[in-house]
Amino acid sequence: MGLNIDNLWVINVAGIEIWITETIFYTWIIMLFLIVIAIIVRIMLRNFKEVPAGIQNLIEAAVESFDNFAVNSLGEKLSYISPWFFMVFAFILSSSLFSVFGIRAPTADFATTFALALATFVIMIFMGFKHRKGDYLKSFFSPHPIFFPLNIIGELAKPISLSFRLFGNMLSGTIILTLYYALTPLFVQIGIPALLHAFFDVVFGVLQTYIFVILSLMYVRSAAE
Amino acid sequence: MKELAIAIGMVHIAAAIALLNGLLTTFGQAKVAAQAIESIARQPEAADSIRSIMFIGLALGETSGIYGLLIAIIMLFANPLINTLISLISN
Repeated sequence: MGLNIDNLWVINVAGIEIWITETIFYTWIIMLFLIVIAIIVRIMLRNFKEVPAGIQNLIEAAVESFDNFAVNSLGEKLSYISPWFFMVFAFILSSSLFSVFGIRAPTADFATTFALALATFVIMIFMGFKHRKGDYLKSFFSPHPIFFPLNIIGELAKPISLSFRLFGNMLSGTIILTLYYALTPLFVQIGIPALLHAFFDVVFGVLQTYIFVILSLMYVRSAAE
Repeated sequence: MKELAIAIGMVHIAAAIALLNGLLTTFGQAKVAAQAIESIARQPEAADSIRSIMFIGLALGETSGIYGLLIAIIMLFANPLINTLISLISN
């Protein structure tokens, strides 16, 4: 864990150097974790009963509460895209919770957050054109064609502010923890960092995950309605 | 060498000034939270929806603070002017 994103390996593919950074490696670990959970749930899905019990309760509660949340903020008509945002939610949440173990959170790299925000941006434009067709194009020229450049800047600012918000919050936690580890003597590095991790990784992570997802849902809804 | 020292000192002062926007950001966020508490006290049954709207307002108000933080970080750790100055001096 540090301020810089370290490079772990360099792979040569047909003369092009591909850098496997810390972020990519930890993203793979988190992806593996999520995929294993998904496969286990898929296998368990065969034995699910009408009346839930045990771990089935937990899974149903998680999916159902996210579905309610998505329907509340997206509306009934658009709620079919909620699985994608459940994935984003699970990924950001687990990446900030994994940093409790001392690894650098993948969301503290601008590439990750910008990729997620860019996906939101693409979904937003796609849903706008799918549900409103010409109206969506016309909304760029409202209330008057003079406002077209302003509207374009306003749309482009959405993914940038969305990604910078998550990146800045995660990076500030990483920097403060790195400074703490670097500046303090060894005997205060036992126990006290747990509180800092709890605050900067768990509290900020959960809050920023919620905010990232709900703002994405709001942007999609405002484009499609 | 002296120019480089002056430039680095200036960069640190500039980063501190960029972080000063935290004052206004915190003030705005405090206002959002205060209004939310007031409306929850007035109408406790709407607490859930007010709380989620409050979080959105806090997040939107936080954006300028985050921009200031990122400007400060870029100035301290990834400043292109300092690198240009170093390469100019070494030549």
